[in-house]
Amino acid sequence: MAAKTTEHFVLIILSMLVAFGPRFIPLRIFSTRKIPVWFNEWMKYVPVSLFTALVVKDIFIDANHGYTFTGIGNLAKILAAIIVIAVAYRTRSMGLAVVLGLVAVTLLTFALAL
Amino acid sequence: MKKDEPRWLEVLKVALPLCLSYVPIGLACGILLNVAGFNTVLTGLASILVFSGGAQFLIASMLTVNAPLHTILIMLFFLELRYALLGSSISQYLHNTSKKFLYFFAISLNDENYAVNYLKFATDKAWRPQDALMVEHYSLLFWTIANVVGSLIGNLLTVDLEIVDFALTSLFLYMIVMQVANRLTILVSFFAGILAIIFMGLLKSTMGLVVSTIIASLFGFAMEDYLVKHGHQRGVLLHKIKPKASRKVISKSGDN
Repeated sequence: MAAKTTEHFVLIILSMLVAFGPRFIPLRIFSTRKIPVWFNEWMKYVPVSLFTALVVKDIFIDANHGYTFTGIGNLAKILAAIIVIAVAYRTRSMGLAVVLGLVAVTLLTFALAL
Repeated sequence: MKKDEPRWLEVLKVALPLCLSYVPIGLACGILLNVAGFNTVLTGLASILVFSGGAQFLIASMLTVNAPLHTILIMLFFLELRYALLGSSISQYLHNTSKKFLYFFAISLNDENYAVNYLKFATDKAWRPQDALMVEHYSLLFWTIANVVGSLIGNLLTVDLEIVDFALTSLFLYMIVMQVANRLTILVSFFAGILAIIFMGLLKSTMGLVVSTIIASLFGFAMEDYLVKHGHQRGVLLHKIKPKASRKVISKSGDN
């Protein structure tokens, strides 16, 4: 247990450094210089690509069996995801999207197991 | 702006809607980190030092599938890379500040407090860098408390990991929706999803996420460059879907 805690502590410190670099370095450089256009243009597509990949991993990939594609095996999550997209688009509220997403996946998992 | 109100209260009023929206997400994040094996002290520490909902959720979810340390860190790097964009766009308002100030500002910079501060800087002449830093610290305070409380709740009840994990997916889905500026963004999103399935299957690891992110973002970058150079700014793909007031600067570079 103590070894696990140390490991987690190291993970937090390394995560902090990894999180701090991208936040600080451009802030420091571009508070005196101009931002290169190509950098901005490329960075624009990084979040959407990464977020989609992560969402797809949770909904369509079975990480416990060699990262295989599950199709509509996770129907509860697929339907809940559609609800979350609709809520996010309509309300633009992060809190509401997350809470309703959790409620939807709980109810759907329960309902589809009946 | 009223003079009789103390500054900290005025800034708190600006930051409060954001702070309150952090409560449910912070609770979910605290519960998830608890399930992933973080104790309450570590959860509090992570909330202060990393201070990123997406990153903390990701750490928790990667730990539960026993992903190796380097994969977690590479994923985090790409996840946090978007702050490079936020940081550089808000830097224009921080010209006359010290290096120490920038250090503190950067460490508590976040998607949501960026949005609040950017809007205030753009619309309120009296908004100072110190006020912006105060907004960051208010949001940090609410986030940390919510995480710690979530961690304590996680100790009391057993939660289904699969279900709490969906909080992360909902958060990312929300962020995707907020990122959509034109049809090309949607195309890039689908492309990234398909690549993620292919490369995770091929590499049998979460490294597939990194590969698909790089390819899909470069594809979006190249496509936009091609469309703009060939005079298709007003074409089907680059047609604007919905203007986002709080993220003006991000869409600005692509629209003109």
